Amino acid sequence: MYKIIQKRKIWIGISVVLFVAAICFISAWGLKLGIDFTGGSLLEVKFGANKPNVMEVSEAVKDLKLNSLSVQPSESSFILRFQDSSEEVHQKVLTALKKLDGSKNSNVASSFEELNFTGIGPSVGQELQKKAIYAIILVLIAISLYISYAFRKVSKPISSWKYGIVTLVALFHDTIIVIGFFALLGKFWGIEVNTSFVAAVLTVLGFSVHDTIVVFDRIRENLPKSAEDFENTINKSVNQTLTRSINTSMTVMFVLLSIVIFGGLSIKYFALALLVGIFFGTYSSIFLASPLLVVWNNLKKKAQ
Amino acid sequence: MKKNLFQRVFNSSPRRRAWWVSTAILVITIAALLVSGGNYYNKMSDSIAGATKNFVTLPKVKDIPFRLGLDLQGGSQLIYEADVKSLPEGEKNGALEGVREVIERRINIFGVSEPVVQVNKTMSGNYRIIAELAGIKDVKEAIKMIGETPLLEFREKDDSATSTAAATNNADTKKLAEMNKASNDQAKKILAEAVKGGDFVALAKANNPAKSVTSNTDSLSIGTENDGDLGWITEDVNPELVKPVKFLAKGQIYKNLITTKSSYHIVKLEEKRLRDDKKTMEYHLRDISFPIYAAADLAAANSQANGNDANWKNTQLTGKHLKRAVVNFNPNDGAPEVSLEFNDEGAKLFEEITGRNIGKQVAIFLDSYPISVPTVNEKITGGKAVVSGTFTAAEAKLLAQRLNTGALPVPISLVSQQTVGATLGQQSVDNSIKAGLIALMIVALFMILFYRLPGLLSVFALVIYGFISLAIFKLWPVTMTLSGIAGFILSIGMAVDANILIFERLKEELRHGKDLSKAIEDGFSRAWPSIRDSNFTTMIVCFVLIEFSTSVIKGFAVTLLLGVIISMFTAIFVTRNFLKLMSNKWLTKYNWLITSVKNKQEDLPVTSLK
Repeated sequence: MYKIIQKRKIWIGISVVLFVAAICFISAWGLKLGIDFTGGSLLEVKFGANKPNVMEVSEAVKDLKLNSLSVQPSESSFILRFQDSSEEVHQKVLTALKKLDGSKNSNVASSFEELNFTGIGPSVGQELQKKAIYAIILVLIAISLYISYAFRKVSKPISSWKYGIVTLVALFHDTIIVIGFFALLGKFWGIEVNTSFVAAVLTVLGFSVHDTIVVFDRIRENLPKSAEDFENTINKSVNQTLTRSINTSMTVMFVLLSIVIFGGLSIKYFALALLVGIFFGTYSSIFLASPLLVVWNNLKKKAQ
Repeated sequence: MKKNLFQRVFNSSPRRRAWWVSTAILVITIAALLVSGGNYYNKMSDSIAGATKNFVTLPKVKDIPFRLGLDLQGGSQLIYEADVKSLPEGEKNGALEGVREVIERRINIFGVSEPVVQVNKTMSGNYRIIAELAGIKDVKEAIKMIGETPLLEFREKDDSATSTAAATNNADTKKLAEMNKASNDQAKKILAEAVKGGDFVALAKANNPAKSVTSNTDSLSIGTENDGDLGWITEDVNPELVKPVKFLAKGQIYKNLITTKSSYHIVKLEEKRLRDDKKTMEYHLRDISFPIYAAADLAAANSQANGNDANWKNTQLTGKHLKRAVVNFNPNDGAPEVSLEFNDEGAKLFEEITGRNIGKQVAIFLDSYPISVPTVNEKITGGKAVVSGTFTAAEAKLLAQRLNTGALPVPISLVSQQTVGATLGQQSVDNSIKAGLIALMIVALFMILFYRLPGLLSVFALVIYGFISLAIFKLWPVTMTLSGIAGFILSIGMAVDANILIFERLKEELRHGKDLSKAIEDGFSRAWPSIRDSNFTTMIVCFVLIEFSTSVIKGFAVTLLLGVIISMFTAIFVTRNFLKLMSNKWLTKYNWLITSVKNKQEDLPVTSLK
């Protein structure tokens, strides 16, 4: 049996450090919001054999005076982002880029191709933001209701609402760490968050909470019949559910890793958010939630 | 007592029942396999038939394709905002429904397969119309088409203004010359191409305007297609065209442009033959023509350029009085025209307008541009009119369609669009299939290494899960998007969760000294609450996501939700039955197949064999 609860100071310490770091990242840099939320355009174009460089692409659309334009080269294409989202601007940009393709080498047939275009008006962006917030609130309410249902039976020596609070704390911890991680990615690698990031975070909430509930269920099952003290009973319960917790998360993480590596650009970061979230969700259910129960119980004893 | 089948299934020993259930599972799996992989099965059955010289012919199954989302097959999603502020509350829904219908009709012109057009009210009270155009090639055109409000107006001469249209001044002459020069240049260019050996029919299709030829008699048959086919004609019918080419060899093109009163022609002699009367020759001609503009053609354009309000004034008759518009071909010259049929009010108005303008011109304006300026010969009753202009058959068809689809009841504006090229879509499909297969392999490997025989059985269950899910995605049908595939792949990882819970519990029960069959039974029943709870939270999240999000997220949530539900069935039901099939004695003997946990009642662990 692993002495997990006994070494709780280490585990809680790690969590606190990560949590504080995440809060710092978020408050210092914030998240880099994608055009889903801010409105704007994202255009991905492919040139033929005569691929221009970033400078040439920027130069080609310079006259259009696009707001906050960024040109990002990828393997065989360019991704252009800009604030304007009207169809008129879109067509002008395309015309300018097409010209660029033809001008370099007129012998080669033009193989300019628009791979992908998203133009989101500012009002739609605001709406999606609002929607995302509503979705998060709704999920939090639903999960809180579920937790109070799951812990509705009275149990001793810890009253059921404390399980609920600790579960929510673990949940909060997981979410903040994922968001902090993406604030970091946004700052240094320019990774944007979009609506699918919100979906990923919500999915993580679902995962994290059930992991914690399974461990707590086992604790409540063991507490009344256990001959050992509170701390050891909890440690035993965590150990009993340990393989199960780790293995279920492992299979999911294998799958997510496979998507991150092979799944292509557009769902890569979505899968990454899930991966990070599920990792910490598992961590928190084993190394944070249960130790917190013990800490809380000890505090109560001291007070008495 | 003779038992019927029903009783034999349900009142039998557990093992036998397991066999029955397993057979049922097998049947479901095969059915799911045939649905999800119908195209592969059909290919296989073809190749078997080929290899055995049709000795073995397997029956074909219906090949149901996946419904692919825009991001996978390429296409566009356009989001419009409808401005209904000016409308009273009660009329909003009707107007929006009208907008939806008009947009749908306009999209249908593009031949988009199954366009999806829906009205959506946002949380802030705006109305959105979301149009999804799968596989569309020319989004630019579509956007133009959807956003345009075709405005058809009938205008009459404004007598109070000085009429300038009739007088041809110097500027007009110059302009006319320019237009005709351009037409002539184009004609010469195409002639050169045709003589050089270019595909005549293709050139004809690309260049022919509506009025392909002017004929002297009605007997001349002019192809309705604009491939320039004039059919068999004699010299009498059209001397202008036939005379120059009659001595050419078959298949030759006349080296010069033939100029007639209204057009420049490039003429090819396809064939010639003697008529049945053995006297006259018949010639099969094909031509490409370019218009020569006359002052009348310019008048319409001029009235626009000179400020049409000065010359033309609106009548009350507009496109909204239209019952329908159809394309006709003028029986005289084969030129495409659009005939209009008015409703009762329109017919009355039209009668009045023509009545007071006999001998004068009446203009038909489309989007404030004159497309036809006919002279009224007599009062027209019956509410029918013909618009004949210089348009091609395709243009005439488009005009008729646009008039038929009608005007938008309220203004709309494009607020968001997403277009994915087909190449990128295909690449995404390939990538995600790869990711999914690799994920499946890793999970399978992990389960077998960690949980041995039960692990292997759970992999069977996982594969069955995959086939059933894909079959349901096809039958439902669930629109597969990239995020949807991500949800499905994720559900592969989650599908074995239930098995892990069960197998861990099973090991625990064995540690407590239970015998194998009891441990299996208890393992399943005790793990159930955990399985239910763990899937429940995921399902809550999926419901919220489906309800509250964009189509991208919806795709993910739908497949994940279906995945969770189906996987509960396969992971528990299927694996359990497979385990039951194994002989208890045999399993106890080869205990190591299940777990390394030493059963206290067992004294033949595999380690002793080393």
